[in-house]
Amino acid sequence: MSEPSKKDPRLDQAASSDESVLDSHEKLLGTRPDEGARYALLPIGILFALSALILFSGTYLNRYAGHYSPAVFNETAKPSTGEVAVKVDPVAMGKTAFNAVCITCHQATGQGVPNIYPPLAGSEWVNGPSARVIRIVLYGLKGDVHVEGHVFNAAAMPVFGQVSGSAYNWSDEKIAAVLTYVRQEWGNKAGPISADDVSAARKATGDRKEESESELQTIK
Amino acid sequence: MSNKPEYTPVDSASSCTLLFLLASALGWLVIGGVLAIVAALQLHSPAFLAHCPVFTYGRVTVMAETSFVYGWLANAGLALVLWVLGRLAGEPLRAQNWALGGTLFWNVGVTAAVVGAACGELTGFSLLGLPKFVQLILFASYIAIAIPGLLAWTGRLRQVSFASHWYGAAALFIFPWLISIVHVMLFAVPVRGVLQPIIAGWYAQCAWTLWIAPLFLCVAYYVVPKVTGKTMPSYEFASLGFWTLLFVGGLTGGRHLIGGPVPAWIPSLAVVSCALLLFHTLIVFLNLKGGVCGGTVATRFISFGLAAYILGALVDVVTSFHGIALHTQFTLFDEAQKQLALYGAATTVLFGGIYFALPRITGKAWFSGALVKAHLTLTLAGILLLLVSLVLASVTQSQELLDKNIPLGDIAGHMQVWLSGAIVAQVILLLGNVAFTANFYLTSCRILNISAPAWFATPAATETHVS
Amino acid sequence: MKNNFLYFLGVFAALGISWAGIVLGSNAQLGNLAPYYDDNEQATFPSWMAGQAARGQLVYKDLGCVACHTQQVRRPGFGSDQERGWGDRQSVARDYIYQPFPQLGSARIGPDLANLGDRKPSAPDADDILHLLYTGGKGMPSYRFLFEKRKVGVGAQPALDALSLTGSQKPAEGWEVVPTNRATALAAYLVSLKNPYTFPEAAPVAAAKDDEVKNMNPAAPNPPPKAGIDANAEPDKTSPAMVAGGTPMASPPTPAPAGQAAASPGAPAPQQGTK
Repeated sequence: MSEPSKKDPRLDQAASSDESVLDSHEKLLGTRPDEGARYALLPIGILFALSALILFSGTYLNRYAGHYSPAVFNETAKPSTGEVAVKVDPVAMGKTAFNAVCITCHQATGQGVPNIYPPLAGSEWVNGPSARVIRIVLYGLKGDVHVEGHVFNAAAMPVFGQVSGSAYNWSDEKIAAVLTYVRQEWGNKAGPISADDVSAARKATGDRKEESESELQTIK
Repeated sequence: MSNKPEYTPVDSASSCTLLFLLASALGWLVIGGVLAIVAALQLHSPAFLAHCPVFTYGRVTVMAETSFVYGWLANAGLALVLWVLGRLAGEPLRAQNWALGGTLFWNVGVTAAVVGAACGELTGFSLLGLPKFVQLILFASYIAIAIPGLLAWTGRLRQVSFASHWYGAAALFIFPWLISIVHVMLFAVPVRGVLQPIIAGWYAQCAWTLWIAPLFLCVAYYVVPKVTGKTMPSYEFASLGFWTLLFVGGLTGGRHLIGGPVPAWIPSLAVVSCALLLFHTLIVFLNLKGGVCGGTVATRFISFGLAAYILGALVDVVTSFHGIALHTQFTLFDEAQKQLALYGAATTVLFGGIYFALPRITGKAWFSGALVKAHLTLTLAGILLLLVSLVLASVTQSQELLDKNIPLGDIAGHMQVWLSGAIVAQVILLLGNVAFTANFYLTSCRILNISAPAWFATPAATETHVS
Repeated sequence: MKNNFLYFLGVFAALGISWAGIVLGSNAQLGNLAPYYDDNEQATFPSWMAGQAARGQLVYKDLGCVACHTQQVRRPGFGSDQERGWGDRQSVARDYIYQPFPQLGSARIGPDLANLGDRKPSAPDADDILHLLYTGGKGMPSYRFLFEKRKVGVGAQPALDALSLTGSQKPAEGWEVVPTNRATALAAYLVSLKNPYTFPEAAPVAAAKDDEVKNMNPAAPNPPPKAGIDANAEPDKTSPAMVAGGTPMASPPTPAPAGQAAASPGAPAPQQGTK
């Protein structure tokens, strides 16, 4: 086989030896004992590139790192207040609670059962002052109650609030949600009820036994 | 100073170890290539081999990746790093038995990993297709292989520290630390919930930036000045580039977790780290750009690899922003990025290194110039075709993923043309690698040797680069 | 860099810094994530995986389903995840605390599976999934090896869990296709994938541009952020959903529009002055 030419693909010739590669590059660093210490300043271009990258990094992290919080999963969240826009839908929450418990008596149509469970659809109690209906759910209701011209006395409304004697201990938010749901369902057009109203009513009244119709009618 | 001949008995003393590593590497390259073709075929036609549990798509992709990364890249990278450190040390590699034993057990480990993957021992993490029982084998055998390299570094005759030393020694140190951390935190005493993907993502990015990149950069930094005969421009800043890579590379861990169930700071940190890595890439470019004019086979491969590395770094930055990640995340674009890095950059630079190194290990020129040229052409063509196919497929995929009305099954149907392109590309790459492997065996097999060490021209002193 | 020891320390420090920052830092933040107790529901979320579902996750991992499927829903506005019905909200860290092998995934050749058991309008049940595994779909291979084709015994009834197949897939007379344990476990796992509860950190966040949204709302009662939503009472199971197709969804459950008198986003203290 003939001697390979300079550009023969079978053998890449080296143009410098290992020692000279090492020595010549070392010389560039200016660290040989026979030379004075010299350090190269970063050329302005490289310095600019590095500074720009660091500036970018700092700015980006400031805006998009979510304050390094483990609760921020969305990097575009506003970093300044860290607030979370909780889009709670009380109607949906109320519906779930209604369907879990209230539906057994008041029925899915809100019509109740004649002579036994009062209807909620079109009920003057549901559409009336919020303070009344809050207390019905909080403390329960016993005795005669007149709803849409009919009287119901067969069963007592249980106690739902976080008060003594309650088997349910629903939170104020849950009661507010159920009431909000009921007050806009089946043609009812009353306004929503907030958890604060429920809390206020509960704190103002304290613990007490079930309401009766006459007591409730005094509330405006 | 008298210039040492290019090939001396010092070099031949290490040939056994290095040839064993290289032979294993090439074997895994071919196996990985075949598995990659199977995986590409299955992506195109899911019914291919679907009846066989060993070849189900999820397992085949892992087998292909493991063979490629832990079989080919690791073995070839270690071989070349040991060779470079040995040559720079000026004496034969010491403790070679450790490396021989280590290579044997490393290959046993990788075989166990691939066979394990075929039997279902998968981890679910990218670049970490190593079952639990394999990890400690790889840990121990890597250390054994690294011992000669570290001894060559600490015991070097000329007490100068060159860029190849820094990158090579870093690659030798880092992998055992990475694999042991991952073994403990993900397998031995697994962390909870979403921390597993976070740590796995950190491992994958560290494996690329702190282990694989130093492996091939060590080679590139040695071969380029050797071939060009000039010092590298801007070499004064090479250490700045090195330390930037080391300190920032690991922080890119959250790059693929954008929009995911992880706190937002992790992907944001990855974005800025990818940007800071551009500084390292800039320095590497400035140092190694002279290699483009090298004109030899090695420098052609290395220049291509360098271009792919730079392009990869830029693409990493651009696609880590959430506006762009919106389009590229979860598509084949991620696969294209991975191929650009692992094949386009790492593999081609290692190919260049092997072309330069083998004559100096065996004392013989490569057996066939035609096979060399064929390998070069097929590799470059295959990589370009693969990248173009995957990117075009991902364009279709990303547009259609964003449209809620298009079911995923239809999207797969729309990508068929590009996926066929990917299959063809993998076949081309495999052909090139088979040519390469054949050339390697024909060269190193002593019976067929006809060329002689006298062909090596004695190299001159290095000229200082005039910028 | 002549000093080998200093160099070694430098390399060690470099790896140590990224390890401490990302690994230890996230471990400190998320390592002790507890399930969330909701007063209204009076339950904790997420719940443990049932035994068979846990085994199914092993089968999922074993087959490498993660190569094509993800299990993470991205936030609204980041892709079409929510519009496709893959989830009501972004997946957060707390969703995965009871999964021993979270398979988040990084490729979507197939649809996301994080809420497969809770898809709207109808979620697939185990039979649908077994059918899909046996037949495969567009882009999805068939997993016949997870099933057993066997002869129905002489005079015996077909097995209860035999697949009901039609057309060319139907086995010959006297034969049936039954799922193996692996298939049943896998189907149980896939059906159990649901994230029904919206944790406070998972709720949609007002992005920087949405200042108008807060000002538009009526006086806010300032509910604490732990109000839970289970806005979807019962999934409608009238029609089976074919998973591989990725059911296009009618509309994601939206918060009550501003027209209805509904509670507005939890406002910080300054807004209470507008009440």
